[in-house]
Amino acid sequence: MSHPDNPDESSRLADELLAIRCQLGEPDAFDALIARWHRPLWIYVRRMTGHDQEAEDLLQEIWLRVIRGIAKLRDGSRLRGWLFGIARRVLMDRLRRRYVAPPLDDLDAVDPAADAEAIDREADLAALDLALDTLPLAERDLLTLFYLRDLSLAELAETLDVPVGTVKSRLFRARNLLRAAIQERNDR
Amino acid sequence: MTPIDPPAPNVVAGLERLARTELSLGARMAHVLLALAASALTIVVASLWLTEPSLPLRTSIAFALMTAIGLSWIAYSVWVLTARRVMFARQRVVAGRVAVTFCGVFSLGCVILGVTTDARGAWPACAMSLALLAIAIGVWRRAESAHAALLARRDALEQELARGAR
Repeated sequence: MSHPDNPDESSRLADELLAIRCQLGEPDAFDALIARWHRPLWIYVRRMTGHDQEAEDLLQEIWLRVIRGIAKLRDGSRLRGWLFGIARRVLMDRLRRRYVAPPLDDLDAVDPAADAEAIDREADLAALDLALDTLPLAERDLLTLFYLRDLSLAELAETLDVPVGTVKSRLFRARNLLRAAIQERNDR
Repeated sequence: MTPIDPPAPNVVAGLERLARTELSLGARMAHVLLALAASALTIVVASLWLTEPSLPLRTSIAFALMTAIGLSWIAYSVWVLTARRVMFARQRVVAGRVAVTFCGVFSLGCVILGVTTDARGAWPACAMSLALLAIAIGVWRRAESAHAALLARRDALEQELARGAR
C-alpha cells in the first residue's frame, strides 16, 4: 500500500489498520502481522543475542506476548514502537535471568566469531559491526533500535520508558563509545 | 552491517501455528461458560448457606467451602480470559451475548422458584442473579460499543489507504 503524500504516514496507517484488525479478532490479521513484522523483530533479536537458537526461542516468547497483549494496545499507530518495546522487555528479562547480578553496563557481549564472514566481505562495515558487538548491551540495544530498526526518538522514548532528552543523551554516549571502539580497532 | 539471514521457514510456520493455537475460540468460550456456571453454582450454594436456619456446623462449613471453590473457579476463569486467552472485540460481543442469555435464563428460573415455592433461598438467589444479569448486560454493551468503534476506525483507515493507493 502506498501513500502519495507521505510513505511514513502510509506505513503508520497500515500498521494501525493491522492492529485494529487484530483487535477485532480477524485470524488473517495475525498472519499478516507476523508476515509484516517477524523479520524486523528477528533481525533485532538475532543481532542482540548473536545466536540463532536463542533468537528463535525469544521470538516465540515475543509473539506470545504480542498476541496476548494487542487487545490492550490503545493507539494502533504506535504498533512499531510497541512491538519493539515487547521485544526489548523479553530480551532484558532473559538477560536478567541469565546474569543474576551485574548491571547492564558490565554486560560486554563480544562474539567475534559470529561476524567473521563479514570481515572478508567488506572491511569497513564489518569493523563497524564488530565494534557494535563490543559495546555494552544497553548501548548496542539503543544504536540497533535507532539506526538499524529506524525507530524515532519518540518511539525510542516510549520503548525504553524514558524521556526523549534521556534518549538523546544516551545516544550521544553510545555514539561516542562506538566511535572509540572503531578507533581502537583501527589502531591495532 | 553484517547482513543477518532471515529466520528459517520453519520458524515462521511455528509462529503461525502459535498464533492459531492462541486464538482458538473453543478455549475462550469454555472459560466463559466455566465462569457463568461457577457463578450460578456459587449463587445457589451461598443463598442456601445464608438462608437455611439452624444448619449443623459441618453443613455450614461444607457450604462455605463450596462457595469458596465456586469463587475460585470464577477468579481462575476471569484470569485466563484477561491474561492468557485474551478475548478480542468480536469474541467479547459473542461472550457478552452468551452471558446475558445465561444470566437471563438463570434469573428467570430463580424468580419462578421464588413465586411458585416457599424455598427460603429463592429470593436472595434471585437478587444475586439479577445483579449478575446487570453486570452481564453492562459487559455486553461495552463490548458492542468497543466493537462498533473498531469497525468504524477500520473502515475509515481502509478508505484512506485505498485513496492513497489510487
